[in-house]
Amino acid sequence: MNLATWPVRVGAFIVDYIPAWILFGIGGVAGRTDDGGLGPIYFVFALLGFGYIVYNRWILGGKGQSLGKKALGLYLVKEQTGQPIGAGMAFVRDIAHIVDSIICYIGWLFPLWDAKKQTLGDKIVGTVVTKA
Amino acid sequence: MRKQLSVPERIGALGVGIAVAAAFWPMFTASTGLGAPCLLRTFTGVPCPACGLTTAAVELVHGHVVASAAANPAILGVATVTAVAVPLLLLRQLGVVGAPVPWSSRARSRMGWLMLVAAAMSWAFQLHRLGVA
Repeated sequence: MNLATWPVRVGAFIVDYIPAWILFGIGGVAGRTDDGGLGPIYFVFALLGFGYIVYNRWILGGKGQSLGKKALGLYLVKEQTGQPIGAGMAFVRDIAHIVDSIICYIGWLFPLWDAKKQTLGDKIVGTVVTKA
Repeated sequence: MRKQLSVPERIGALGVGIAVAAAFWPMFTASTGLGAPCLLRTFTGVPCPACGLTTAAVELVHGHVVASAAANPAILGVATVTAVAVPLLLLRQLGVVGAPVPWSSRARSRMGWLMLVAAAMSWAFQLHRLGVA
């Protein structure tokens, strides 16, 4: 397996979240009410942003590629089978990533030194990220 | 073709990134009000072994070595690896040094245990520093 390096994975992560950041940003600016609160427009854009994140996770599990991973030629696969993990497990993997974040985000750096270039979340659900 | 890097070189490259980020971090937090809170400490009140690393990195790039070590001494380890590995990385990219030799599984295991002990020591330090234990 040609495992993906950490910088490329970071690049895919950034590409994945750019559309969501844009949607939340537009909502944050256009959705401000006169008293400085958040109006209905904000919640429309926030819902769109959240919907995009869910969709991106859905295709990540189903096809092995989110938009960011597709842009950089990466695949998320089950370590044992080399096949996509399915949408349900993609969401479970997101929950498992809490472990990466809870130790001051050090878990996200694990691919720098781990033999299988896995985060702790990857280890929990048995996934690897490969490069085509 | 890009040359393969050893683990210390990858950490060294990260160290350079941390140094650059740490130089701009105070300006970023002052202008946005954002930060990088430890989730474990936020939700439980208990610090994690890596707590204080942001402060330590900021202090170190400003030349305050003692204040840096007081926040998290592990940053000095990262700085040492960076200082040694970055020249090696450059020599490797220039073709002066050959490809890195992969570690044996025994050596990897030994380093894994060493890092685990270091993490435990760092955790004890943070618990003491923040008055939890």
